[in-house]
Amino acid sequence: MAAKKKRTPNKQNDSWVVISADSVLNTQKHDSDPAFLRLRNPSTDEASLYLLGSGNLQLYEVKAFEEDFHSWFVGQTVQRDGRLIFVTPMDPLYLLLPYMIKSGKEGKFQPVNQVVKDEDFPACSRLLSCTRSLTSLHHIAEEKEVGSQTFHRYSQDRTMDWLKKKVERTVVALKKKNICVGEGVKSTTYVRVKSESDNQEEDYLRYAHGLISDYISEDLSKVLLRHLGLPELKSPKETEPPSKKRKLSDKPVEAEEDYTKFNSADFARKPPKKMTAAQKTLAKVDKSGMKPMSSFFSPKAKAEKK
Amino acid sequence: MSCNTSVTHLDVSSRGRVEQAPVHLMPCEIEYSGAAQVSQYFTATTKDRKQEKTVSFRGRGLKGQEISCPQGYTGLVLKEVNKPGSDQEDRTVRISSMFNKLTYWNLETPPTSDDTVVMAMDWPEVAEAIHGPIED
Repeated sequence: MAAKKKRTPNKQNDSWVVISADSVLNTQKHDSDPAFLRLRNPSTDEASLYLLGSGNLQLYEVKAFEEDFHSWFVGQTVQRDGRLIFVTPMDPLYLLLPYMIKSGKEGKFQPVNQVVKDEDFPACSRLLSCTRSLTSLHHIAEEKEVGSQTFHRYSQDRTMDWLKKKVERTVVALKKKNICVGEGVKSTTYVRVKSESDNQEEDYLRYAHGLISDYISEDLSKVLLRHLGLPELKSPKETEPPSKKRKLSDKPVEAEEDYTKFNSADFARKPPKKMTAAQKTLAKVDKSGMKPMSSFFSPKAKAEKK
Repeated sequence: MSCNTSVTHLDVSSRGRVEQAPVHLMPCEIEYSGAAQVSQYFTATTKDRKQEKTVSFRGRGLKGQEISCPQGYTGLVLKEVNKPGSDQEDRTVRISSMFNKLTYWNLETPPTSDDTVVMAMDWPEVAEAIHGPIED
């Protein structure tokens, strides 16, 4: 490959190409416009960009789909920033969950508007205006009514049941879309073929668990894995330090009885070209706090072949 | 972290008035943003056969395909109006054009359903599974 040309840094752009749920545009008579705002990301604990629909009724996730070396033509203009941004409806419970867990440590029933407070992200209280927030809190908390007031206390049991249903729904969607979730994802880059592996069911579960884990803390993700009856896997990196990997590749071919097996195993471990681009995308820290879509294509927990 | 308090308002008032603009996702980074004679030098030389489109761009053969936005979704081009001087002020973006279809271009390789942008169009349906309401 030719040496990478030095590129002028992409200055702050003022134009974005977005694919948005139609409901964002149906503002009707509500007074406030939809607004992009930063809230605490439940998985990273850092700021991420979200959109609150008109009247704070619906929360939306903002995800950037990004590949290296892309730009847009829009009408009679060039837009250098080649990202495609998706704005999709989001379950506000994912963002409320960390606040519920934090207050749950005190073990008391509390009014939820006293729980969902954040010095760094004062806008988080607006999440309680979402239509679905208050009516679905019972999925993650016990409820108690005293007079006209409702009090809540975080319940891990309820949360696990709720998250398990989320994983199951996601498995159904992945199957319907025929999204390849097994080892094939790693080696052949997103090819839409059905793998005939025996543990395909487990591959789907793990992939869905990986997708859901993008919306919960690492601790909760581990508990969920156990709740799903899936053993924790060590990441390929841990099980195979680079030094060992090199040794395996340097091994003379004669040492292996089954050449084809050796070759395919070796190939699978080589990061495919397109994955490198995806990894680059992952590594790139987005200043706007938008979550890249790479997680959609590469689940965090990958099933290692036994 | 004062910048966490600023919001970017999405002004949707122009949604009924803006025009549909042709949108092309190019397989190269163009170090420029602004006006260009796209229809004169790019669209005009595009050849359309079956599902595949071809065009020559800067001497390189591009192969492309038109794809639709997922159902229930609309393409928007958002533009910032009146950039504020500091990152603590609220900002506003408005809809400058809309689209229901976009054309993406590959360098040399024919378009297939495995192209990542085609796969990305699956995201809203998967997101609906992750975020849709759970029955009791």
